Amino acid sequence: MSHPATRPRHPRRSRGPHGARRALGLLLPTLLLAACTGTPAAPRTDAAAAATAPQLTGPLCAALPTGTDPGNPSFLAGQPVDQALRWIPTLTTFEAALRTSGVLTDLPAGTGVTVLAPSDDAFAATFSEDNWDDLMTHHTDQLRTLLKAHLISGTHPIADLTTAGTATTLDGVTVTVTRTGPTARLGDRADTVCADYQATNARIHIINAVLGPLPVTADGTGHRAH
Amino acid sequence: MRRQRPTLIAVSTLIAITLTTAAPTPANAAPPEQVNALTAHQADGYTTLAWQPVDGATDYQIERTPVDADNTPTGAPTIVGIWRPNRQINQHAPTFADSGYNPGDTFQWRVRARTGTTEQPYSDPVTATTTAPWGNPTTPGEQLRTGWETTHAAQYTSDTDEYAYTAAIDALSDRVRVVELGRTVQNRPINMMVIGHPTPAATPEAVAATSPVAINCNVHGNEPGDREACLIMARQLAFSTDPRITDLLSHTTVLIVPTINGDGRANNTRGNSTGQDLNRDYSLIRQPETTAYITMVRDYRPVAGYDGHEFGNSRAGDLPMLPPRHQNVAQPIFDQSQDMIEGHMYAKGAEAGWWACPYGCEGGGNVGLSEETILRNTLGLKNVTNSLLELRSSGGQTRPDEGNTANNRRRKTYSALWTFHQFLDYHRADRADILKARSEAIETQAANTGRLVFRGSRPIPAHPAPHPGDSPPPLDAPPADLILDNAPCAYKLTDAQYNGARTDGPGGVGTTVAQRIAAHGWNVITIGDEHYVPLNQPERGLIPLLLDAKGVEKLTDGERVYPTLTGRRNGPLTVTGFTCADDATINGPVTVRAGAALVTTATTISGPLTATGAAGILLADSTVNGPVRIATTTDAISIIDATIAGPVDLSGNTTGTDAPVLAGTTIRGPLRCTGNNPAPHNLGIANTVHGPRTTQCAAL
Repeated sequence: MSHPATRPRHPRRSRGPHGARRALGLLLPTLLLAACTGTPAAPRTDAAAAATAPQLTGPLCAALPTGTDPGNPSFLAGQPVDQALRWIPTLTTFEAALRTSGVLTDLPAGTGVTVLAPSDDAFAATFSEDNWDDLMTHHTDQLRTLLKAHLISGTHPIADLTTAGTATTLDGVTVTVTRTGPTARLGDRADTVCADYQATNARIHIINAVLGPLPVTADGTGHRAH
Repeated sequence: MRRQRPTLIAVSTLIAITLTTAAPTPANAAPPEQVNALTAHQADGYTTLAWQPVDGATDYQIERTPVDADNTPTGAPTIVGIWRPNRQINQHAPTFADSGYNPGDTFQWRVRARTGTTEQPYSDPVTATTTAPWGNPTTPGEQLRTGWETTHAAQYTSDTDEYAYTAAIDALSDRVRVVELGRTVQNRPINMMVIGHPTPAATPEAVAATSPVAINCNVHGNEPGDREACLIMARQLAFSTDPRITDLLSHTTVLIVPTINGDGRANNTRGNSTGQDLNRDYSLIRQPETTAYITMVRDYRPVAGYDGHEFGNSRAGDLPMLPPRHQNVAQPIFDQSQDMIEGHMYAKGAEAGWWACPYGCEGGGNVGLSEETILRNTLGLKNVTNSLLELRSSGGQTRPDEGNTANNRRRKTYSALWTFHQFLDYHRADRADILKARSEAIETQAANTGRLVFRGSRPIPAHPAPHPGDSPPPLDAPPADLILDNAPCAYKLTDAQYNGARTDGPGGVGTTVAQRIAAHGWNVITIGDEHYVPLNQPERGLIPLLLDAKGVEKLTDGERVYPTLTGRRNGPLTVTGFTCADDATINGPVTVRAGAALVTTATTISGPLTATGAAGILLADSTVNGPVRIATTTDAISIIDATIAGPVDLSGNTTGTDAPVLAGTTIRGPLRCTGNNPAPHNLGIANTVHGPRTTQCAAL
């Protein structure tokens, strides 16, 4: 989904413009903020990375930062995996859990990792807010086990995982990985919705369901109020 | 107080019809089903589309196409909005706030009606460049951007970014002072921006005198949309030269608390780091975060507030809102809050195209109830006109282009930004009404009349058609066993109850009841080892919820103390111990002994009232025909809505953290206050004094 900055007259893409004009608009405030306040990792358009732009697949990719948007896949390819995860806007729950639990930082230095990252929607469909807060604040061991069910040692493109047919996650469980049309299915439960993000020594595959042993506690209404 | 609801007849429609019939080219006339007169008005982060309604239209579809400077499409046309008749109160002038795009980009819009499911022809297109993020990129201060803006909404502004951003605003703007209200459980600062023009008042007491407004931006860590709006608005307030902004800030102080739940925000959890939902803790204040906010309310005394949230019902309006409904909230505060929502926000929303609506609009479910632990109710019980604000968390059927996370985040944040600006405008325009409601509420509360309700809401009837939403919040009437018809005069706490160790805080360590009562700012009178909390105080509706045995979420089971003196009494009265007079007529001088306390409501004293070294004197809704002399009181003094025929002398009182209150009182004689520590104040409710006011009371 990393299209060049062309301007088709009859575009087939369903999402907005990704032209060079936007990159300029982005760069300026970034520099200004950096100058004034200090700021997090500033987005850059890295020419070298762009030359080998990751080829993402899945229906959600179009809704994520593309082209030269901040957080685009080419930029993320040069980021450490914990930073790359912060840039993917549908992973706020998963990213915060990884960070809070320290699971990623506990990996041996230099280890490649493949991240099966459930989207925020997947978490909302699985855990009630109370249950999730309880896991995050009171049950670190359960949380870590849950997260390890989403990590695989080594950097594996999704095609390699489907070819192998199974993968063993860091919680010691072996899950099946099968190709279902344009996406991959994991553990008979989750489908990839945007696969093959790259980060330094890492692959990230966004999936649409939570893996691991914990029971579903969400009631499906999503109406938790104020 | 309630505004006349707008009854806009579609004058513009009539004009359009006239113009159409006068047009000389009927051969090219648009078919009547085609939308015409489409306009696009730009504002911060959104575009208001407005058009002439089409007879018989069921709904309208709004289409947006990105275009370049040559008007050439750079992306596919997309249906970004569905306008339905329940969006707004004046359906003859449809509007839609399109949002969820990168601000500054250029778009073309078209609108078409649907009759049933039949799509009618599109309107002629309108093209416009949207408003870029606020602030000139080359003007110091204005050029600041949040992390959220810089990343095009891919990331929320982090905690450290927030501190850097607010510190930069503080450094570059004379209008802004950042104060730290406290720390979270994990020791993150809880900051507040105090914003005024040309500079904010210097002390909390001086800020309180400006009738400030407070916005609580982010209590649930996984609902961050309002917080980003607050950070953007702070920059606008700090640096804008728009006369509207400087006028607003010249007439009040804006208090913005970006993040009371920094720990939850960092972890993207609803609760704080202990798992406590902070919006179920504002009355109990077990946590440091809620304690910081409630202490701020005590010290800065905001008169109006908003509390920012997000809401998971994708069928609801853009901006569900809800007033303080708890039945112990004084009627004027409920009415004023409803006026703010239905009178102002519904009308302005219909102009801007945002769908403000009651909390339960379109199947809101069993929400919006009376828990006093929720900020909107706690603030109402503290006589603050206020509303909860929800940002509908997903696009749903009426905003179908929000599968893109950034678009969704932008729509939420810019709808919050609109709301908060409208809130400031409402306060500016209706400040006198807000203050009147507050005065009436405080006097009503201090009079300690009427039943107490421990749980139960005031009804919110459905807004009359045409209305923004179909279903009002549930009735939520109080059950009989949670009503106390005969309100006590005070609650008595043992020393163990008042000062005893508690385990209901983070890590199993809780602050004492004494500390929490102090954070709420209630007067307490200690006699021997017993502690009395009288109900003739401004927060009368909140006190029983925490101290009565019937309280649903309470601190302790206080003992109800009923009046000891009622009816007519002739001759001198000497008060020892704790004396409560209600509906009493005392003919004769009253002397309060050292260490004793007198609490009155609906009482007339004919004769001088003298107290030297008393523990406390609390008079409300009472009359004294004679001089009042109160000296060297040790715990509490409060005179609210009283009439005193004679001189009043307050001297040498040392009441600790509870400043003597003299509010809404008429004094026929001189008022003299000397050597009191702290000095008396009037809660923002002026007194009428027919005589000189001297020294510490000169401004009361």
